[in-house]
Amino acid sequence: MTQAEIIEALLAFIALPDASEAEFEAMALKVFAYQFRNNEPYKRFALQRGRTPLSVRRWRDIPAVPITAFKDLTLSCSPPEAAERVFMTSGTTQGIRGRSYHPTLAVWSRSMLVNFRKRFMRGRERIRMGILFPDETELPNSSLAHYLGLARRECGTPDSEVFIGTAGLDFDRLLPTLAQAEASGEPYALLGASYSFVPLMDALAASGRRFSLPEGSLILDTGGFKGQSRELGPDEFYDGLAAAFGVPRSSCINMYGMTELSSQLYDDGNAACPSVKSGPHWIRSRVIDPLTGADLPEGQRGVIVHHDLAHFNCVSAILTEDAGEIVPGGFKLFGRVDGEASKGCSVAVAEFLAAARG
Amino acid sequence: MIEHAGHLPGLSRETLRWRKVSHSAWGESATIALPELDEAQAAALCAHVRSNARARLKRMDTARIVAAIDAAIARLLDRAHPLRRKAEYLLPIVTGYDRETVRLGLTGYLKTFRRPQLLRFLAEDFANPAVLDGFQPTPKGGYLRAHGPELLLHVWAGNVPALSLWSLICGLLVKAGSIGKLASAEPLTAGWFASLITEIDPELGECLAIVWWKGGEAAAEPVFLREANTVMAYAGNDTLEALRAKLPITTRFLPHGHKIGFGVIAREALDSRKAPALARLAAHDVARYEQQGCYSPQMLFVERGGRVSPAEFARYVARELGALAHRHPRRALSQGEATSIVAWRGAQEIRALDGGTELFGEPSDTWSIVHVDAAEDLSPTGLNRTLKLVSVESLDDVPALVAPHRSFLQTAGVAAAPERLFRLAEGLGAVGVTRIAPLGRMTAPEAGWHHDGRFSLLDLVTLTEVEQSAEAAAEGFAPYVD
Repeated sequence: MTQAEIIEALLAFIALPDASEAEFEAMALKVFAYQFRNNEPYKRFALQRGRTPLSVRRWRDIPAVPITAFKDLTLSCSPPEAAERVFMTSGTTQGIRGRSYHPTLAVWSRSMLVNFRKRFMRGRERIRMGILFPDETELPNSSLAHYLGLARRECGTPDSEVFIGTAGLDFDRLLPTLAQAEASGEPYALLGASYSFVPLMDALAASGRRFSLPEGSLILDTGGFKGQSRELGPDEFYDGLAAAFGVPRSSCINMYGMTELSSQLYDDGNAACPSVKSGPHWIRSRVIDPLTGADLPEGQRGVIVHHDLAHFNCVSAILTEDAGEIVPGGFKLFGRVDGEASKGCSVAVAEFLAAARG
Repeated sequence: MIEHAGHLPGLSRETLRWRKVSHSAWGESATIALPELDEAQAAALCAHVRSNARARLKRMDTARIVAAIDAAIARLLDRAHPLRRKAEYLLPIVTGYDRETVRLGLTGYLKTFRRPQLLRFLAEDFANPAVLDGFQPTPKGGYLRAHGPELLLHVWAGNVPALSLWSLICGLLVKAGSIGKLASAEPLTAGWFASLITEIDPELGECLAIVWWKGGEAAAEPVFLREANTVMAYAGNDTLEALRAKLPITTRFLPHGHKIGFGVIAREALDSRKAPALARLAAHDVARYEQQGCYSPQMLFVERGGRVSPAEFARYVARELGALAHRHPRRALSQGEATSIVAWRGAQEIRALDGGTELFGEPSDTWSIVHVDAAEDLSPTGLNRTLKLVSVESLDDVPALVAPHRSFLQTAGVAAAPERLFRLAEGLGAVGVTRIAPLGRMTAPEAGWHHDGRFSLLDLVTLTEVEQSAEAAAEGFAPYVD
């Protein structure tokens, strides 16, 4: 298939109301064949694993690259210099950032919107948004900035605003806006990186201020704390959000996404944690035993692998560094499986890297 | 069955709180009860050990202490002794190492602490070990006497069985009242040893205690840190830094941070007769204690130009690790440990795509080796039998490749002809390597080893000098003075 053909096929696939296992498999094998033919490093990786489009008959056998490969290799089916957009990871290990190349954002954006409307907007056409993350002009390589920009343009009301700029969180604009939203009776949505909510909650708690946003209001957080704010446990975090903004935990939705994917996964609120996450019909997630690569049965904890067909230009199958377990309706996410410091007195990689960074 | 860890003279088991921790491996399980002391109990224990050390231990001859340690070690070496049997049964369950690894490891290690070896420890650090018993004349004139601390606190880390005995025995040899903090990963041997000492020489047993607390959390911790005169600690640098910050400035702090070991193999060691044997020894060093030791190799630098190429040698080591996997199965790994391996292996696999890197072993094997055809700096692996083998043009290149990691260097396993051994040792020593061992012995340091380049005993003592002139002046006050 040519690039135009695969894009067309994917847009059509995303437009389907749902996909059966067989339909997903057929599309996944096409995408694998496309990536195998056009992405030279991935082809070598697959060959090293003894997997080719001829030998792979099930989507589960499509070789998944470790997420770190996005740092070391240029994984792109089209010339990277011709990419319309390059998304880069924020996490830097020794100053190297993972990159995803997008010759067009058509598939990425379609995937985002269809899924966002279904999982966050829940049938609503537009909602007034307050965004706690810098916008695309400031962070052109951030997939989250693009995500939030798209959400605001396509699903936000015209008076939606971004409240983070070069000077950080703009309390002077945000607090009156929240007060006004509270008084207006119209639902309001706050969206941003998880760590952006922490200083806001702290500031509100310090001044004894609480909001009671109108019924139907929503919160979307994503990405965890990444050392940008203090770490909160999930219950503490969602209790804090519910208390500060009057948005029940069931309306606090966590989006799980990554630069190395083109689609996002959501839960249906965080009334109970850990919540169950799932993606749209063009992404499937497995949980494997990292040592053997074998799929683990429901309820057993392992490492998550995603097969995101919308990530057609790079590699669709990625082995994450996140721990999870398959449950009915999706998977539970338990955060990063950190490489453990050794129990003995040997130096392990994590300690070594920390020292190397100084 | 519940095994109570620790040794707590002066405190009764009933009055203590015990934290029960379950371990299981090899289809069996065991529950270990760890003592949790409150502030008052910790203070009472410190006072007990200190006053006994002052009143009894300080007056004992070193020979008596050596005899007691020797007798305790003899019992632990006796495979029919109940404690030895308990050790062989419980340590594999608690640490996860296979039974044969534990059995062989214990025997080899305990042999380091018999009487002749203990005398070696003393002789290594003291020109005249009698300074521990009384004033001895010194070459410059005058007299010298060495005193161990009244209260020496050991903070142990790691799950290498019985590792704690090294510092505990060193403390006893310098007549230090000792309190040892057990590592959760191996909370047994130190307590057993203390109970044997008590059985053999009850007075000596009153001068040492073995405790446990959860680092940074327990009420007892500040008491121990405040009371100790000297603290000897084994941990990662972060933990050591936090510990140092909590100690009074007057407390002597002897830290041993985590280390990385490596091997160096010269071309003269690489012919078809010697290489397979060397590969077996290297594999043994890797497999023993699953690279958890500070002395365990994580990387091998192999010189080109021998009859056996580095790539072929990598195949030999791979074969040996494969064979060892049957004889000494790898212990079960936690998810975090498994992830470390997978992350390391994944990174090597990605690099292999550009050529020059060869990966041995399937992901499902319990070992992995990667061979890199171009020299590169020392770096840690995923541990638990993951090894990187790097080709180098010449042994002389190796010091520069390890030099950037000076603070992590300790043991180098070397296979080279004598002249090159010493030349290499010069270079490695200059960049911070403190121990050169043969392959196959990396995880078994000799008695009297200067751990991390420091003195095992001398660092613990303070010296008291009677100056020559003081003795002369004293003559003036003697009753027999004319």
